Amino acid sequence: MKTMEIRIQRYLPEQHSVPQVESYQVPFDDSTSVLDALNHIKEEQDSSLSYRWSCRMAICGSCGFMIDGEPKLGCKVFLRDYAAAGTVLIEPLAHFPVERDLVVDLEQFMQHLDAIQPYIIKDRPNGVTEMRPNKQTPAQLDKYQQFAACINCGLCYSACPQFGLNPEFLGPGALALAHRYNLDSRDEGRAERMPLINSDEGAWSCTFVGYCSEVCPQQVDPAAAVNQAKVLSAQDMVLQLFRRKKG
Amino acid sequence: MSYKSELGRTWWLKNPAFKAYMLREATVLPLVFFILCMLAGIYSLGKGEQAWQSWVVVMGNPLVLTLNALALVASLYHAATFFVLFPRVMPVRLGGQKVPDNLIVIAQWAGVAAVFVLAAWVFWGVL
Repeated sequence: MKTMEIRIQRYLPEQHSVPQVESYQVPFDDSTSVLDALNHIKEEQDSSLSYRWSCRMAICGSCGFMIDGEPKLGCKVFLRDYAAAGTVLIEPLAHFPVERDLVVDLEQFMQHLDAIQPYIIKDRPNGVTEMRPNKQTPAQLDKYQQFAACINCGLCYSACPQFGLNPEFLGPGALALAHRYNLDSRDEGRAERMPLINSDEGAWSCTFVGYCSEVCPQQVDPAAAVNQAKVLSAQDMVLQLFRRKKG
Repeated sequence: MSYKSELGRTWWLKNPAFKAYMLREATVLPLVFFILCMLAGIYSLGKGEQAWQSWVVVMGNPLVLTLNALALVASLYHAATFFVLFPRVMPVRLGGQKVPDNLIVIAQWAGVAAVFVLAAWVFWGVL
């Protein structure tokens, strides 16, 4: 069996203050993914290696890494594609604080997700949830379906220099989900989400670098969602001006 | 203790996608030069014939011509990137059907061609 050099950025806070790159030789064939290689290293060579993973089929979004500098899911990338170079560098997802080895702290991303209320909001007079049927036509579904496939893997945040420069920026994933619910015919929460989307940390911090959409493993196209949200945001701000003048 | 690396000033040199983005943003530089030339032209037109003639001479300078040619190329490049992004940001629906992205891109280039033809007709009397 052929082998390949896997270089991994290691960070063990109790041993060193800055990350260091360690090298491993891993046997591989055409079906060996980067995640398989990490599992092989942990089981056969170095049990101290830490990384997140779960489903092995690009559904759970746990195994995002920087692979030769590009944000990718470890389970969706194969060593055969790096065979020509004979080596591959695996680093933790960029723009997030590193907890240990390839494990990053996603707290900021989770807070942004929570803030945009990524769920269907219904008008609830007197706090009582009305039990109305949520009917939707195929045309209504078509408006947001593209943006509904997000698996919260965080790759788009590692592809976004604006988030790298300012972690307060809501970022592509959260803004795409906010837009997904704003476009949903069953949702009545747009007025609650717009102040955050209109804010300095909202859609206007995006400069359409567009790399988030290139790396998205689910083809959500967050860059399109964020910039469609800018159009909604502009409409919202004009409407508010008009209302204020009228009032 | 978690470790956080900071983005340095050269962050955009590390990825081809970021380089393409910076190139798109940098197209504004030659365009600023073109706009300054145009404003100077309008100003000289108001000042009188002599000022206008000397502005025309300056515009014929090879360096000025090169920079303005660069501005034209830069604006066309920026247009090319913008036209591709447009249908993603403003999806057009006709009769419940989404208009294909490439049709919108072609329509925008047709608009550019129309402007070129109009400019040729107005300034050179061609056509």
